[in-house]
Amino acid sequence: MQWLLDPFRAEFMQRAFIAAIIIGVVAPVVGTWVVLRRMANLGDAMSHGTLAGVGLAYAAGVNVLFGAMGAGLLIAALLLVFSSNRRLGQETVITVLGTAFFALGVVVISRLDTGVELTHFLFGRVLTVQWSDIWLNLALGGVAVLVVLLLFGELRLATFDHVQAEQVGVRVELVQAVLVLLLAVVVVISLRAVGTIMAVTMLVTPAATARLLAHNLRQMTVLGVVFGVSEGVVGLILAYHLSSAPGATIGLVAAGVFAVVFALTLPRRMPHHHRPLD
Amino acid sequence: MTDSVPILEVASLGVRYGATEVLHDVSFSVDRGELIGVIGPNGAGKSTLFKAICGLVNHTGVVEVNGVHCHDRTDRMDLAYIPQRNDSDLNFPITVGELVLAGRRRFRHWWGRPTAADRAIASEALEKVLLPGVESRGLGELSGGQLQRAYLARALAQQASVVLLDESLSGVDQPTTAELFDVFAALAAEGTTLLVATHDLALARRRFGRCLAINGTLRADGTPSEVLSPDVLDSTFGSAGHRAVAP
Repeated sequence: MQWLLDPFRAEFMQRAFIAAIIIGVVAPVVGTWVVLRRMANLGDAMSHGTLAGVGLAYAAGVNVLFGAMGAGLLIAALLLVFSSNRRLGQETVITVLGTAFFALGVVVISRLDTGVELTHFLFGRVLTVQWSDIWLNLALGGVAVLVVLLLFGELRLATFDHVQAEQVGVRVELVQAVLVLLLAVVVVISLRAVGTIMAVTMLVTPAATARLLAHNLRQMTVLGVVFGVSEGVVGLILAYHLSSAPGATIGLVAAGVFAVVFALTLPRRMPHHHRPLD
Repeated sequence: MTDSVPILEVASLGVRYGATEVLHDVSFSVDRGELIGVIGPNGAGKSTLFKAICGLVNHTGVVEVNGVHCHDRTDRMDLAYIPQRNDSDLNFPITVGELVLAGRRRFRHWWGRPTAADRAIASEALEKVLLPGVESRGLGELSGGQLQRAYLARALAQQASVVLLDESLSGVDQPTTAELFDVFAALAAEGTTLLVATHDLALARRRFGRCLAINGTLRADGTPSEVLSPDVLDSTFGSAGHRAVAP
């Protein structure tokens, strides 16, 4: 028990746990839709691409979270513009934008003369999270969860069958744009705690694990949150005792849980569970 | 609105995908309660015709539903489109009940939730397609024929006057096809208009009251015996059409 409680004693660790819990709730709520819409590569590009905003904000002496949010919004807007070109698949546009913004971020940060290291942003520094970060994350995360809850029905229709959804009045493109913005929000609130690289892990892995178990969307969302929060907390406890990088440890715990659940649910996906014949 | 107004009027409809003209100058009108077969070879433009009628692709010409000139998709919610069966992810975590309730979305705002009345209408739609009590089942638990009936129930829950079924019978076995046609006939008798795209010319001859032959444009419009004549089959399918249709 002492082993479990020790990490909670210091205030900086308490802040770290709160930050991990916020991400553990918000990332799977949004990530459920990222997984179902097979948009994980967009999450990856967004998490890398926000580094450009982070670098520029750091250079300008502005809170890096605002820089990340600005970059996220710009990527979302450019994605909408470039995706209208039918010669290029959306995957291509996403990769071009993500790598371009990532490269800009690396160049800007490498030229900064402040001792700041690229790895701080890539993998996060959860132990340096401040109360101001937590309040901002709570506000942004709260709005993101509220938007998903309000749009739950529209997201379900637009994701399952976008043609029929349009037919009955769903604004499918608007729903997609909102989801991209929510993705940017998740990356921003994950930035300080787990970094840009691990942001996509928290976005995708708990939701993907939940997908293996859930029979409906509500179950998937709730299970995703349960996995996200518990993986964040367990990852931090392990990182404290192992003196390992917290963001990466959380990512490894999430991947480990996914592997276990995947193995346990393997029999369910065997051929005898396939569609009944007419 | 009187009964003399066609439920669906299509005039000079044309569709281009880039430089390729897929459909041109398609005109026909449809009355309430008709059961119509839309025949044509692969790539003839049957799916494109349905999508254009529903406002899902850009088109020239005019589509009127129940006498109302359609300008955008919201004018066309009285049409239900059931795409080819492999278009949707059948592993998606959605129950049959939720699928059918999707048809009720046209009657509420985006922030609204399905009401008890919506659920009752959805259950009734499932009963009409001979699929009662399956609301809590996942889509993956349904057979191909049951799935088509669930999609049809969604169209009924939408209370659409016109239902467009795009190759929905492909791969469905004969007994199930016969069952589905019994459902179509019952719906048509109640006033729902159904347009069914199919490759099966023998089926078209037996089960439809009227056929439209499509290949780039409307090649023929009439009774099955008129549309399945050697001349029309030649112009629609080429020589292969003769072999595909039973006498």
